[in-house]
Amino acid sequence: MSAQLTLLAPLQIPPPEVVPYLGQLWHDGLDGASGAATFTLLVWEPSWLEQQLVRVGQVDGPITGLDRPDVLSSARDLVGSLGLPPSTAPMDPGLSWILGQQPGHHEAQDLRGQFVDSAISAHMPRRLITLAPTLDDAKPLETLVAAYCPLPDEGGAGAACGDVVVLRGSLGALREAIPMVQPLVRDDLPCWVWWNSSLDEPIEVLEALATGPRRLVIDTSRGQPARCLEVLVNRINTGQAVNDFNWLRLRSWRESLAMVFDPPSRRDALQHVVQLDIDVEGDHPVKGLLLAAWMADRLGWHLESSRPVIQDGVIAGIAAEFQRTDGETVRFRLMPVPVGVPKAHPGAIVGLRLICQPQQRPPLCVILCSESGGCMRLEAGGMAAMELAEEVVPLPEESEEKEMARLLGGGHDSTNPLLASAAPLAASLLPEAVAAQGFARS
Amino acid sequence: MTAILTNPLRVGLRQERVIPPQCLVIFGASGDLTHRKLVPALFELHRQRRLPSEFAVLGCARRPWSDDDFRQRMGEALAAEIAEHPTAWEHFSQGLFYEPVDLQQSDHLVRLAGRLDALDRLRATRGNRTFYLSVSPEFYGSGCRALAGAGLLADPERSRVVIEKPFGRDYGSAQALNKVVQACAKESQVFRIDHYLGKETVQNILVLRFANTIFEPLWNRNYISSIQITAAETVGVEERAGYYETAGALRDMVQNHLTQILALTAMEPPGRFDPEAIRNEKAKVLQAAHLANEEEAWKCCVRGQYSAGGTKEHPLPGYRGEPGVNPNSTTETYVAMKLFINNWRWQGVPFYLRTGKRLPKRLSEVVLTFREAPVHLFDAAGGAPTANQLILRIQPDEGAEIKFEVKAPGSGMRSRPVDMGFSYDESFGEPSDEGYVRLLADAMLGDTTLFTRSDEVEAAWRLYTPLLKLIEDSPWQIPVHPYEARTWGPGASDNLLAEDGLIWRRP
Repeated sequence: MSAQLTLLAPLQIPPPEVVPYLGQLWHDGLDGASGAATFTLLVWEPSWLEQQLVRVGQVDGPITGLDRPDVLSSARDLVGSLGLPPSTAPMDPGLSWILGQQPGHHEAQDLRGQFVDSAISAHMPRRLITLAPTLDDAKPLETLVAAYCPLPDEGGAGAACGDVVVLRGSLGALREAIPMVQPLVRDDLPCWVWWNSSLDEPIEVLEALATGPRRLVIDTSRGQPARCLEVLVNRINTGQAVNDFNWLRLRSWRESLAMVFDPPSRRDALQHVVQLDIDVEGDHPVKGLLLAAWMADRLGWHLESSRPVIQDGVIAGIAAEFQRTDGETVRFRLMPVPVGVPKAHPGAIVGLRLICQPQQRPPLCVILCSESGGCMRLEAGGMAAMELAEEVVPLPEESEEKEMARLLGGGHDSTNPLLASAAPLAASLLPEAVAAQGFARS
Repeated sequence: MTAILTNPLRVGLRQERVIPPQCLVIFGASGDLTHRKLVPALFELHRQRRLPSEFAVLGCARRPWSDDDFRQRMGEALAAEIAEHPTAWEHFSQGLFYEPVDLQQSDHLVRLAGRLDALDRLRATRGNRTFYLSVSPEFYGSGCRALAGAGLLADPERSRVVIEKPFGRDYGSAQALNKVVQACAKESQVFRIDHYLGKETVQNILVLRFANTIFEPLWNRNYISSIQITAAETVGVEERAGYYETAGALRDMVQNHLTQILALTAMEPPGRFDPEAIRNEKAKVLQAAHLANEEEAWKCCVRGQYSAGGTKEHPLPGYRGEPGVNPNSTTETYVAMKLFINNWRWQGVPFYLRTGKRLPKRLSEVVLTFREAPVHLFDAAGGAPTANQLILRIQPDEGAEIKFEVKAPGSGMRSRPVDMGFSYDESFGEPSDEGYVRLLADAMLGDTTLFTRSDEVEAAWRLYTPLLKLIEDSPWQIPVHPYEARTWGPGASDNLLAEDGLIWRRP
């Protein structure tokens, strides 16, 4: 399905008049239409990468804020020419920062917030509020308002409509405008806050938007690893419903690993894990740490220690020891590996190896690899001498809008208990030195 | 047998298909099905975290219960599960509500619409509604009319209606009911339930056939000589005499469950895994199916009725001795028949269907028997080589099995049959969900794949019309043979296959 524009061009009205205008609109402006009793979706939508690519003339406008294939491919093309390591993911915030240093003054129409992905509009948000910071530091606040009624398939009943509010301006102007967001969020409906950006961005904005019972959606692959995990854990600890795209993208890894141990004959081996290795793309360990933490939590392992792996004087990975429920040790290593064509988001999993040594049975080695990454590194070291279970994990790349639509579809209105248990452990797994310096980039 | 450890990595992963916010309205909420199947299935979904918090169940029936009465009664029915999961129940039961409703009273429907609007606000259910008609079949049509009259089915995207079996009593009544239902709602809103389709192993027929390349090339008249479909029960009529006396095995089991298995076994591959594509193929194959002898249906069908049996210590009454059954009843508790499918794939391959109560084992299975090897090169240990068979075990001991010949150990070259098996238990070790869990979830997700479309229902009834007509018009031509309880049915059913040189599989 293609994205939809609002049926009428949004009306630009002065900020103080937005709330009264909306009240009047629904009171007597929309003849016969009823407001959808659904939810409010509040989106922090800087789209820095898209804005920068448009500015330097690498992609055409308009700026939509949507996941665009041309933005990703253009970003991939630029990685080499900007002198970044080949494993840099297009969504790495560092890429847009470096792009920001490049000259360019191209302009394009800014349709952020007005360009609604059909997967999201199918859920009929009652109010879609988009905060769209601009590159221009001097841009004053603009507020745009439009009502929309999705065209029902083949007729149907009276239209259930929603409205779109866009707040656009410089970062400073938007910060000042945050108090006017609160009255726009309806108290009688659930509210989702989608932080569609790096978690390195001003925390006070996130805290001001994602208050109380609002359901927060973040992506812990975007931002400094320690910061990402800190935000995730803090938010979970407050009892807020938190969904993390980085965690959701792990689903096929969790499923594939669980599948290996579905046959009852294999299950005993899970009690005898001695080694866990995870390879990730680039230099972002959070996804790998979440995967390891999920396993450790499910298998009742206790974290003993965690430290950086130093090779040639630089930090080359993370090592840790867990203690199993029977007191035995499990060694864990997370290593960044270079890849030619990285996935869109930093830190995608390349492979996982799990070695189990059950008593009175031959050792079992489980190797899971991504479709794009070979298993060869993990197969090395005599693994073939063990009972080998290898799987290739399918990794469908879905747009963030589709992921968001899936969350809006229901069932994600509280923090997934698996994530709630894994997140603090993942944070503990990140050594301070790695948090401070990161990996040596490859 | 050693205890099976649970797979700790599997816990909590079944969340991919989550149900959107909605209100499930159960008509007939004071009835058996609600507390025996529906609410337990919903509680299971809740425990699997597949129900959103924006969810409500509104029970509706004539009894003047309150919300608390309804919660208490459902709680009593689920006492064992609640003892294990008290917190989950506390949370789940907050979403249970009740509204006294008589579907025949228009003012009740107005009140119901108001209650649903209030629940939308209270539970943020977004106006999504699934209406489950767990009422007596004679009220299906009027129930749909009442819902449509109150405007509750007007939005095809947000309202659905689930209709229990039986859908009609024959071809004519099914057609008439379809007309009424289709005047009230679009086909995409209608979910005709057949709980057999909720079984993992029935769905596995599709996966086994269309996710593998090794079976499908053989799945036709060139390699398969016959197919047997069996659904055997050990129980008698139990407390269902009132219904069963008017239905019999043909209406109770064959027209719906066995015919659905037949359709899945015999259908052509769909172009894509899409509800309409699958239902198109099922409807097509049912339209091509016919009794082996439509003019003289008694020649391809056997009816039976169980008589007393069992042991001296555990005697079993005959059907006519069961409470609520007419002592002179001619209702069949067993039926076996032979069908053909007139298409390129199956021309000339007999399909044998049988079902019965008080048989020696509870089991459902599909047996595909392959053609014999063209030349017998080897002596067979059993005198003649056994035909290869693929057995799809639907219940119990769910799985599949292939029978084929191997060399018997020893110096000679004698062949003997062996089995190669796949068992759900051994491979997955987790019990599969009860059928209603899957079907309720699918209905609330709007996925019609496992529900029967109007043309499928009509085709299934049309298939048995010559037989139903014969039973009605000249029952003496198709007598009800007695068979002793806990035997494999009347001898006449063996003759049905013996004419073709075959025997029923004795599982």
